[in-house]
Amino acid sequence: MMDAKRVALSAALLLAVGFVSLLVIVGMTFLLGRQAESDLDKAGTARATSEAAVSLADGLQLAESSQRGYILSNNPIYLAPYATAKSEVLRQQSILETALNTDTKSAQRLGKLSEILVAKFDEMDESIQLKRAGRDDDVAALVRTNRGKTLMDEARIFISSITRATDRQLTSAIAQQKQNLSLLRLTNLGAAFVVMLVVGGVYWLHFSYIRSLSRAQRQVEVLNTGLEKRVTERTVDLTAARDRAEMLLAEVNHRVANSLSLVASMVGMQARASKSEDARGVLNETQSRIQAVAMVHKTLYSSGDIRSVELSEFLAALLEQLELSLKGAGLNATLKHDLAPFRLPTDKSVSVGVITAEWVTNAFKYAYPGGEGEIRVMLQGDEQGALRLVVEDDGIGRSEEAAPKGTGLGTRLVNSMAANLGATIDYVARHPGTAAQMTIPV
Amino acid sequence: MTPALAALVLMLSAGVALADDAAGLTVPVALAPFDAKAPLCAKPPGLSRILGFAEDNRRDFMLGVASGLIKAAADRGLTYQRMLADNDPALMAKQIRDFAAAKVGAVVVAPIDAAKSASALQQVIRGGAYVAAIVPPPATTILNAPQYLTGKVLGDDAVDYIVKHLNGRANVVLLTHDGLEFLAPRFAAIRDALRKLPDVTIVADISPETVDRAGGTATMQTILLAEPQIDVVLGADTVVLGALDAMRSAGKARPNQYFGGIDGEADALAEIAIPGSPYKTTVSLAAPIFGYALGQYAADWLDGKSVPQAMDILPAALNMDNLVRYQDDTADPGAIWADPARRDRYLKMYGNICYDTRDRYLNFAWSSENR
Repeated sequence: MMDAKRVALSAALLLAVGFVSLLVIVGMTFLLGRQAESDLDKAGTARATSEAAVSLADGLQLAESSQRGYILSNNPIYLAPYATAKSEVLRQQSILETALNTDTKSAQRLGKLSEILVAKFDEMDESIQLKRAGRDDDVAALVRTNRGKTLMDEARIFISSITRATDRQLTSAIAQQKQNLSLLRLTNLGAAFVVMLVVGGVYWLHFSYIRSLSRAQRQVEVLNTGLEKRVTERTVDLTAARDRAEMLLAEVNHRVANSLSLVASMVGMQARASKSEDARGVLNETQSRIQAVAMVHKTLYSSGDIRSVELSEFLAALLEQLELSLKGAGLNATLKHDLAPFRLPTDKSVSVGVITAEWVTNAFKYAYPGGEGEIRVMLQGDEQGALRLVVEDDGIGRSEEAAPKGTGLGTRLVNSMAANLGATIDYVARHPGTAAQMTIPV
Repeated sequence: MTPALAALVLMLSAGVALADDAAGLTVPVALAPFDAKAPLCAKPPGLSRILGFAEDNRRDFMLGVASGLIKAAADRGLTYQRMLADNDPALMAKQIRDFAAAKVGAVVVAPIDAAKSASALQQVIRGGAYVAAIVPPPATTILNAPQYLTGKVLGDDAVDYIVKHLNGRANVVLLTHDGLEFLAPRFAAIRDALRKLPDVTIVADISPETVDRAGGTATMQTILLAEPQIDVVLGADTVVLGALDAMRSAGKARPNQYFGGIDGEADALAEIAIPGSPYKTTVSLAAPIFGYALGQYAADWLDGKSVPQAMDILPAALNMDNLVRYQDDTADPGAIWADPARRDRYLKMYGNICYDTRDRYLNFAWSSENR
């Protein structure tokens, strides 16, 4: 997968290149614009100089035509443009001197041109004066010297030299403009190409990054799918294992319960076979206790949850079994219960069941010596969230000072289990009857 | 033959357009090629076998002509006489009349002022003598150079050099000779040749005030003020040599420049022979050779033979490669004359005339290039 930092850095670099390209375009445009202004100024100056040279040549030609016409025809009409042409030549000469007198060589060149123009106008002025004076032979002799033609030819050399120089400047300025335009065009094309590369590069980076992300996402999805499949398979395996374990546990509890019931029956049989009243009593108590424990296991294997026990259901079944058992033993008290639903861990439930069985058995045995009476079992929560178990009767009551009836094992058992539960035990005289109370912190 | 040419020949044979007996042919006609086997004429009576040379000045070109005349006179038993006018047209006219008065059998002239010499020359012709004029009429034989071809030879040579050595780009100075109108085709041909190269600029097209070496120098000095960068200079040898002097004085002469002249003057030939000299070419008119030919025809005339009415001296561009051969040729013009193949490289003859038909002498500015 592409590194996001590297992608960001690359994109930043590409954008920087694009920005530089843009700066180059702007810079070139600015510089070439200034160059164009300069070239235009030069071209303007060159054109003005060229125009002055051409005007000077025209003026000189006009003056010579005027002179020649007058000499040939003796008609003053030909002289009409002469003075104007002469002043125009001098004016244009002044313009040229201003424009071109930039160095020693130019000064020499202009000086020679000036000398030629002066000589040419002197020759023309002289010929006109001679003609006006009627000295035609002198005019002809002057013309035959060819001096005027030579001066005109020499003037043309200088004028054409100036014209060529200005043409070269104009051509150079135009060529420079063309070159600048080509350069600008090339720069723009180059920069546009770079910008396109940058855009392409950024797009490629973006596209690659997105593609990389998609690929990673697909890989994650594949991994997730595999993981989910493994979790599902594992869950199925665990569920099956749990079911097997629960089944086995239920089986164990069933077997334990059956075994305990068998043991209880054996203890009952032993009790019934015993001739000693005390022994029989002890064995009956033992049987009751074993049955209580067996009841817990029965409840457990019939329950879906082995970690906790719904105490109201467990105690109700226990009390029903216990009542049947006790009544089968000839005890006629009536057992009622009021049990609030409450779940308690299995081991604690066993202790609660043993304690309840101990207290109910005691009430059946000792509360009503006459045989009939009511025993009530109540399970409820108190204001502090603790669980309170109450077994009460309306019997003869319980004396603290009296010696424990039976073996005393039941009391020790209750105290021991209560201690394990962290519960407190209270025996309340109800006049009549007694209420045994156990408060279990939850 | 074109219709116009046929009409002109017809006019000539019918004697139409002739002035009077003294005027000769004043209307331009097309001359047929010279027939060396034309019938003999009468010998001019009462004339001495003297070959006179009325020379305008002592320039190299005229020295060449004189050398040919002297050799021909020697070969044909003529007495050679020279009269130098030293650029004085009036003196030249007088000298020609002196030849006529002396019954000189043949006069070769290089007119200074054709108009001022014409009358004297017609007097010589009417006297039955042979008159050969170098270019302007009147004459029984007019020697001329095909001016356009002459200029074209130089122009083409310059163009070839500019293309090969100056990358087709050059600033050219053209030194003309406007005082002689008949030379104008030379410069027209040079301009036409240069026009083929778009990057060639004729920066000066001017006739020096005096057509001599000093005039070339002065003009070039002026040109250099206007245009310091000069690559090619063309014109007559004498002014081009003067221009080279100016360039050297200004320190602007370079070996890769092209200086080319016309006339084949000795100084030009000497410059060409110098390695690294800017002077590359002179178009020679082989003055000794045509001088020798004119001497031969003078003798033929006096012997009653028919001679050409006109003769072209053909231009040849001389450079370092062919200079020696040319010098050998001009040193021995008799050998060239005797070898028709070699002679035809230098000379081309037109029309026929002899003592009996001398009334048909040419009295117009003849050129083989006239149409």
